[in-house]
Amino acid sequence: MNPSERELSYSSETRSNADDVALIRRMCDADETALGALYDQWVRSLYSLVLHLLKDPDEAEDVVEETFWQAWRKASSYEPSKGAVSTWLLTIGRRKALDRIRARRRYKEDAIGRDQVFANLPAPGLDPSEQTEGKELKAHVHAALQELPSEQREVLELGYFKGLSQTEIADVTGQPLGTVKTRMRLAMQKLREPLSMHRRVTE
Amino acid sequence: MNHEEAFSELAAVALDSASAEVADAVRAHASTCPECGPELAAMEETVAAIGELAPQARINPGRSAGIRSRLLVRARNERESQSAPVPGPPDIARGVASLTGLGHKATPGAQRPVAADARRPTPATPLRHPVRTDVSPSRVNWYAIAATLAFIITGAQLWRVTQDRNEMRSQLAAVDTVQPKSDSMAQALSEKEAMIESMAGPDVKVVALSTKPTAQPLGRMFWNRATNDWMMVTYNLPAPKPGKTYQVWLVTDKAKISAGTFRPDSQGRTVMHANYALARDALRAVAITEEPDGGMPAPTGPMVVVGSA
Repeated sequence: MNPSERELSYSSETRSNADDVALIRRMCDADETALGALYDQWVRSLYSLVLHLLKDPDEAEDVVEETFWQAWRKASSYEPSKGAVSTWLLTIGRRKALDRIRARRRYKEDAIGRDQVFANLPAPGLDPSEQTEGKELKAHVHAALQELPSEQREVLELGYFKGLSQTEIADVTGQPLGTVKTRMRLAMQKLREPLSMHRRVTE
Repeated sequence: MNHEEAFSELAAVALDSASAEVADAVRAHASTCPECGPELAAMEETVAAIGELAPQARINPGRSAGIRSRLLVRARNERESQSAPVPGPPDIARGVASLTGLGHKATPGAQRPVAADARRPTPATPLRHPVRTDVSPSRVNWYAIAATLAFIITGAQLWRVTQDRNEMRSQLAAVDTVQPKSDSMAQALSEKEAMIESMAGPDVKVVALSTKPTAQPLGRMFWNRATNDWMMVTYNLPAPKPGKTYQVWLVTDKAKISAGTFRPDSQGRTVMHANYALARDALRAVAITEEPDGGMPAPTGPMVVVGSA
């Protein structure tokens, strides 16, 4: 079975975070086959995210490789109480992608676009292989994003996709730093509501 | 940082939009705060959930398989090196070392940093555990490319190192009154002279290194076949991509032998020294590839430099 077939078969299986935690435990015991299984399970989500951020397939592949390597090296630092394995992986990957975006900005002085990225995110539900449970959560988060006031969504977009600090966001938007902080906090609190609701239902 | 301050920064920390100092302070507070800890975790989950909204893209299956394979090889190498280090045979025990501290690193399996020492380089893992890989059909391609490059042996083969030595001599004379610096430079000068001495004579084979595919000359590999000393000098070599390193390979008919990883300095210069026994007529080419940090047991990345032996 080649990796692409493995990827397809895994994505159609019903998995839970407990399965991923078990893989992380095996990685802590230096079982590299667990790294392979984790890769098969999450490469698509991770690649999708970092490609969306970086817009460059070569760089996205580099980040994918760096992310899984870091996961292998730092497996023992994963704490289940702080979130799902997918959260941990996507957080590592997003940080690495943002590092590259920031480096590009430093070296090439890339213009900071203020395009409405969240507005262009596709509504979930088009991928038949996706689990229903995941689809519902994504749909809620997607809806919450669309309902955010434009000024809160803009702050979130600049932080999430462009990797800007709050001070940089204040410069770009011309808003006081305190206002930026407030908007970011309010936006995040609104977005986390569907997640909290989802947890209450599933736990 | 008090509770209110930390709480107000949770969103920024979760989004990675806070400064490193603020993030550290918030995380330190959150690790003990019953309110901020779960809130930060929930916000980080929210950030990840947003990430999962990204349009689904499928990574190229062939390249994905390559990434997966590299990861597993690196992981296996790391596990094996940590669990059972194997001593190398005596003739390769001296290994590779950077003479100038230009960032030479050990290849997979290496756990010790490589120290600089000119006359007797500190043993380094790459050649203590030479990685031999079977030569694949693509070997023909390597040789074909290498064969197209000019074989250059001129009286200026060592001019780079000699130039360094002469410059050091001038500087040494200029700072002769400053004892500590003078001592350090004298030692460096001695190292350079020892290097030049070991890399001159009838037994020294010189391989001109050029970029691929543009064939710009950018270095030499000197191989003293009498003493099995190897010295590689590069200049004008661009820095590898972030997260990557350069890896040197000695290509024979039967194997591509890792000779270590390195990063050139800001001027693209590198000086590496090794001691490794190889049959006098075995070397076919020297190649440098770009590999993930830490190096690989076999070449996987693009070949950026090659020289025909």
